[in-house]
Parts: sequence; structure tokens; C-alpha cells
Amino acid sequence: MKKIEAIIQPFKLEEVKEAMKSIGVDGMTVTEVRGHGRQKGHKEVYRGREYQVDLLPKVKLELVVADGRVGEVIKALSGAARTGKIGDGKIFVSDVMEAIRIRNDDRGETAL
Amino acid sequence: MMIEEKLHSSPMEEVRAASEEIRARFLETGDSAGALASRTSLADAMIAQAHQEFLAPAFPDGLALMAVGGYGRRELFPHSDVDVLILVEGGPPVGKAKEALARFLQTIWDSSLRLSHSVHTVRDCIELHEQNIELNVSLLDQRFLTGDAALYAELKSKLPRFYQSQKDSLARHLCRLTQERHHKFHATIHHLEPNIKEAPGGLRDLHLIGWLGKLTGAQPGEDLASAREYLFALRCLLHLQSNRDNNLLNFDFQEEFASRAFLGVSGPAPLMRAYFRSARRIHRSALRLMDSVQAKSNSLLANFREWRSRLSNAEFTVSKDRVLFRNSQQLEKDPELALRMFHLVARHSVPLHPETERKVQENLPVLSKHYGQPRPVWEAVHDITTQSGAAFALRTMHECGLLGAIFPEWAGVECYVIRDFNHRYTVDEHTLIAIEALDELARTTDPARQRFAGLLSEVDDLAALRLALVFHDTGKGEESESHCIESARLAGIAADRIGMPELSRRMMLTLIERHLDLSGAMNRDLQDPATARWLGERLETIEVLKSLTLLTYADISAVNPSAMSPWRLDQLWRVYRTAQKELTRELLTEKIVSSTPEREAFLKGLPKRYLRIHTEAEIQQHLRLEEQRRETSLVVDVRKHNGTYHLTVLAKDRLFLFASVAGALASFGMNILKAEAFCNQQGTVLDTFAFSDPQHTLELNPQEIDRLRLTLERVISGRADVKSLLKNRPRPSAPSKGSRIEPSVSIDDEASDSATLIEVVAQDRPGLLNDLSSALSEAGCNIELVLIDTEAHKAIDVFYVTANGRKLDPAKAETLEARLVAACASS
Repeated sequence: MKKIEAIIQPFKLEEVKEAMKSIGVDGMTVTEVRGHGRQKGHKEVYRGREYQVDLLPKVKLELVVADGRVGEVIKALSGAARTGKIGDGKIFVSDVMEAIRIRNDDRGETAL
Repeated sequence: MMIEEKLHSSPMEEVRAASEEIRARFLETGDSAGALASRTSLADAMIAQAHQEFLAPAFPDGLALMAVGGYGRRELFPHSDVDVLILVEGGPPVGKAKEALARFLQTIWDSSLRLSHSVHTVRDCIELHEQNIELNVSLLDQRFLTGDAALYAELKSKLPRFYQSQKDSLARHLCRLTQERHHKFHATIHHLEPNIKEAPGGLRDLHLIGWLGKLTGAQPGEDLASAREYLFALRCLLHLQSNRDNNLLNFDFQEEFASRAFLGVSGPAPLMRAYFRSARRIHRSALRLMDSVQAKSNSLLANFREWRSRLSNAEFTVSKDRVLFRNSQQLEKDPELALRMFHLVARHSVPLHPETERKVQENLPVLSKHYGQPRPVWEAVHDITTQSGAAFALRTMHECGLLGAIFPEWAGVECYVIRDFNHRYTVDEHTLIAIEALDELARTTDPARQRFAGLLSEVDDLAALRLALVFHDTGKGEESESHCIESARLAGIAADRIGMPELSRRMMLTLIERHLDLSGAMNRDLQDPATARWLGERLETIEVLKSLTLLTYADISAVNPSAMSPWRLDQLWRVYRTAQKELTRELLTEKIVSSTPEREAFLKGLPKRYLRIHTEAEIQQHLRLEEQRRETSLVVDVRKHNGTYHLTVLAKDRLFLFASVAGALASFGMNILKAEAFCNQQGTVLDTFAFSDPQHTLELNPQEIDRLRLTLERVISGRADVKSLLKNRPRPSAPSKGSRIEPSVSIDDEASDSATLIEVVAQDRPGLLNDLSSALSEAGCNIELVLIDTEAHKAIDVFYVTANGRKLDPAKAETLEARLVAACASS
């Protein structure tokens, strides 16, 4: 099993959710986060004062999928989240040792 | 063996059979009092029987059983604990006696009654237990069950003296505990899924009213019997249907209970309305009693309250920090007395006396009838909604029913439940919390929120903003495709009835219709120019944007306590900035291109903003002035409206024109509040100024208005020099250092497509505008468009300038910046 974490633009959330649904991935965790990558933020002048805007609002998705589905999920995810501009975000993939469904103690991929 | 088995199994069966009977009878009749009494009798019988069997032999004397708490009151709900106090002589039982007690308790438990017991001596019971105040309180509802009657009599004879000596301390403890409990529920009754026992307005508040009554003799002031009955019935149902001690009236149960004929409601919404109505009465009574207890015990508070008596006037008395009518019969004859009273409430945040509330409630039919007709009460409504205590006043008006009487449109959302996962409160409560969120914003110390507080200080039409909030969700109470449109329709009806002026009305309706736009934009690509254009088209003016940003801030904050996360706060600010930049950009670009032939010559080339900020009547007036100007080449029009003077100038454009007008006004000691300068395609300049007359010069010397007009004509046509006029003005005293606003000048080359944008934020002073605009003209800049705004002592001046028809070059911009900073300081 792999855990896929994606940091995406907030306005892309609906499209990404749709894309996941269309390939049969139903479960995901969505968190509203703030951060910066290479974009680093920028200076803003408002009412004559400069403000450093270094943390931008983003959305973090987390989903765990069977090993065999990773490629397909990443393709759909990055396809839906891409605008081609700076700030589109990143996807991270990592190994998951175990999954347990709390309700009935299902283990492994059946728990996903 | 047979006998023992019978002994152990029969109590359980007995309880089960009796409980089944109580359940069936209640579900058929809805008689909660009967159900509670029957269950109490059942517990009494079971305990007496078990006592006889196990305790009586082991304790011929020295032990008495008492019912306390809800059981003591004979209010045993189907799954409530059975609270028993075991009164003993000396210490806790040991040896055989302890064994007998254990068997007694086990028998009751096995019978499936949930016994909750405690063992105490008489001495325990008449001592104050600061850490276990519950024991002292539960004994307020005690009654004797069985056992040593003499021992019980000893306690009973001592209790009254104990309570007499400790009543103040106990009452205070009770109030503190209640406040803590209310706080857990954000001190509101209006939860979509309420806990009908613990939440404000729930059964605990009823208990509190009973306890404070027993301790201090205070009475709730209104008959709560029907409210009590309704809550009792709901709790019986909750216990029976969930088969446990459950007090959370969730959506599923609301749906299910609505079909119970004995509740007399026709669906989940009316069921909840009836609940909230009961809860509101109970909650109010509890607060009133707590208030009287606390006032008694706090002399500092009492002194403050006496001090506030000075707020009294000819119509109202303020006594002990509560408002009373001087003549309580007057309200019936003069329904608008109510609005004047709420002006006082809004201005000083002083609550109503319970007697006043009662009087208002009594007169609601008369008030509804009066305000149901078109009445020109806008001034009064405006005066309430622009005060610092507006949120408090609106909440008080809502609580005594006046808000619904003045605005029947509001009545539709009173206690209205929205089934939405995110929402925590009913629509009316959500709305009031939203209005309060704005008030809290003014006091915030959080830097992320201070940006929004800054916007709040720049809003001119607070009445339109607050009323937009009042009405923004009223459409939810009606069947419609879009509640935004429906809410705006209802607000429009209300606005017509109270005679709301055109511009405020327009602002309020726009805010309501668009109240989801900004939260919608939070989910759009803010870097996409299309999003910016969409925002610009929807919002039209910077004034709408500011108010709508604040409305959105308040609306999200009032969804639930954590809805306005730092993330949303950031996103909302980004939306605001995106829209603000777009409105700045398009001001010079989006021009009026065509109109009716008569208007075309004048309107063509003016920014679209012109149409968005002026009423049709004002446009007509400008057209008439333009006709005059064609004959005289110059028109100066001064008129007074609502305490503010309005100056309109129409002339051919020339250098120093704007500076001259600003200077002439300053030379008369006038304080410029707002100013805008536009230019149409034919090169005619339309300058509008709003100014105040702080020294009442024009008011006291009417001929000065003519002199002002003449002076203006002379400086505009270049026949008089504004500098020499200004020389004679006395210098104003400099503001104290602490309140001084450091001048800032920002020059933005990208904000507009065709001009350089210069924004100056500075401490306002007489002549500032003249100095700034002169500096611009002296530098050879042509002022294309001006927006001037003054809030308190802060001037926010925006100029769109060009030089030789183009944006300023960087070198020029730099020297200009220095000159403008210098101009801010000089006087």
C-alpha cells in the first residue's frame, strides 16, 4: 500500500475529487493548510504598508491506495490539479505498513 | 433454591413490566407528568421492598433512605439515575451491616433501576462542601423514603437553618456553575441539535430556577409550566426511543418525534420552533434570576449600576442598569417609543428591565399592526443600527419579539433550523452572532483580523451593512430557488415600508443578493484575470466590496465557532485584494459608452462608477447643472442634506482646478469628508465634495454660503489665488503623537491600464487635499480621477494621474513621492 499526499491549489479541489471518483477512489482526507514552496511568497503593499505574504492557502489531500493503483491515481490527480503555472503544488508517495479498519478490524488492502 | 431464584428474578421482571406499561401509556397519551410520577412510585416501591428485606434486619435504627435530586422531586425520567442518599449515624457501616447494604444495592441494580447512591451523616449534610456543592444542592429536593424516621427528623430540623446561613454562598456557586455550563454551549439556546438537559434553556436551567427560588425566594417572573411540560415530554421521548439516558435531540429524533400527535406539531421545523420558544423562556428566566443574585452580592457592580442612572431621560428611567418606561401606558398610544428606547439601548448597551420586556411583549399585537403599515421610521432604525451597541440592541429587540414585529420578514427565520452539517445554530441565532462578530472585530488584537477591522473603520453606511446582515438569510424561511434573491426581495419590502433612502437601500440589496459571491470566489483561481473581472462586474464599487468582505467575514464566523479558520481568513483577504485591484484598474477603463441621446453628451466617458454611486435623482440634477454650465461655462452648486454639505462643480478641465476647490473649502474652515473628480469625454470635469462645517460657520451665517459659492467661482475661473486665501487661516493644533498617522505614499504603475495610481494615507488636516493636489499639479501631472475618503482622522486619498497623456516615468514618480510626503507634513 502507498500513501499519496498532494498539496494542491484550493480551487482545484473539486476537479481532483471528481477525477478520483471517476477512477473509483472514494476515500480521502482533505485538510486546509498554508505553506510555501519555491513560490516563496511575495511582498504586498496595502494602504501604503508592505506586507510579506509568505504562507499561501493550499489544500492537502491524503489517500492510501493499493500498490497497483499508484500510477493511475497520480496520473489522474496531477492531470486534474495542473494549471501549468507556479503554485500548482506537489505529490508525495510513501510506503504504508498496515491499514486497519477500526469498526471490524479488517487488515491490509481490504481495509482501504 | 426455588424461593431464592424467585426473589432474584422477580424485581427485574416487575420493573420491566411496569416500565413497559409506563412507556405504552406515555406514547399513547403524552402525559409526561404521569410517566415521571409512575416511575417515581415504582422506584419508591422497589426500594421500600429491598429495604424491608435486607436493610431493616441489619439496621433496626441508625439508617434512613432519602430520595434526592430529580428523584427527590418525583421527576424520574425513564432512564434517569435514581439518586438515593443513605443517611447513617456515625461512620460508614462495617462488617455484617456493610454486607447487608451491599445486598440491598445489588438487588436494586439487578432490578435494572440505575441507582446512584451516597452515604452521609447528618453532620455531612449540613456542612458547606465547596468542592462538592452538588450534595448541598441535591438536598434541596430531598424527601424521606424509609428507615430511621427519628434520624431523618433530626436532619430535617437542621436543614432550614443551614440553608438560611449559606443561601448567598450556595446561590453564588450555583450561578458560577451555570455560567460555566452555558459557556460550554456558547451561551446560546439555538443549537441545531440541542442537548435538552444541559444546554442553556434546558432542564438544568429549570432546576436552577427551582433551587434559587428555594434558597432566596426569587420567582422566575413568568409562568413556565407549559415550557416545562414540553421539555418533559421531549426528554421522555428521547429516553424511551434511545433506550438510555440520552438528552441530545439530534436531526433523526427531530424527524421521528414530529409525528407524535401529542406534541401538536406538523413537522420537524415546528417541533424545533416550539422547543426553542420554551427554551428561550426558561433561559431568560434563569438569566434574570442569576442577575438578581449576582447584583446583590457585588457592591462594585451595584455602584456601577447606580451610576448608570444618569442615562435616564424624559421618556425612560435607567434604574440599577436596567431601562424602564417612565409611563408604561405610553407604548400602546405611541408605538414608536419602542424604537426610541432601543436607540438608548444601542447607544449605551444597557439592558431592559424585565418589566419593560413584559410590557413590550404585551404590546406586540399593537406594535406589529403599527409597523406592518408603511411608516417613515428609517431615521430611528438608522440611529439604532449605527451605534456601537447595535448588535446588543438587535439581539434584545429579537428576544422581546420587537424585531419580528417591525420586520415580519424576520419572523420567518425565528428559530428556523437549517439541516446543514456545518451549521451549528438556527438562522436567527446565526444572524445575530454574525452581527456580533462585526462588533468584536472592532476590538480585535489579532493582526490577521485587524486588516478587516481597518475595512470596518472605512465603511460609511453601517446601517446598510448591519441591515443586510439582518436580512441576508431571511429567504431561507421561504420556498425559493435562491435564498439570496429571496432574502433581497424581502429586505426590499421592508426597506420600502420604513422609507429607507435610495442609496442605502441599493447598497443593502446588493450586499444581500451577492452575499455568497466572495465565499464562492475563495474556491476560484484568484490569479486568473477572469476571476478578477467577474468580481469587478459583480461588486461594481469599492464601497460594496468593503462591506461585502465584512459581511462575508461575519457570515462565515457565525456558522460555527471554528469556521473562520486562519486559512479562510487568508483566503478571504486574497479575494478582497484581487477584487480591490480589479476595481482600481477598471475605474479609468470602464467608461460609460452610450446612453439616451439627451444624456449622452454628459455621461459619455465618465467612469461606470458614476452610475453606480448616484441615484437617478442626482443624475437628473447633474444634467440640469450641465445645461446651466453650457451657458455660464462654470456651475457651483452647494446644498445641505442630513447635516452634511454637498458641493458639485462642473467646469472645463484645467490644471490646479481640483486643488483650487479643495483649497477654497479649507479657507472657509470646511472639513472635506469625501471627494471625487471625474472627467467626461468632452473634457468637462465633475467634482463632487461632501464636507462638514465643524465651526458652524455656514449655519450661523447663512450669507456665508453665497460668499463661499462666489469664492469658489473666482478660484475655479482663476480670478482669485487660493494660496492667498489660505494664508489667513489659523493653523490647527497638531494631533497628539500617539494618535498621529504616519504619512505613506505609494505609487503604483500597474494598477491602472492608462494612468499611474497614487495612494496617500495620512493624518487628516485642513488644507491637506489642497497641498497634495497642488503638489501634483506643480509637478505637471494631470489629475484624471480622484477618490478622497476621510475616516476619523485618517485621510485615504487616491489620485489617478498622467503626464502628457501617459503614465508617469519612474524618475518623475520618485521625485513626486518625496514631494507628496513633504506635502502631508507641511501646514
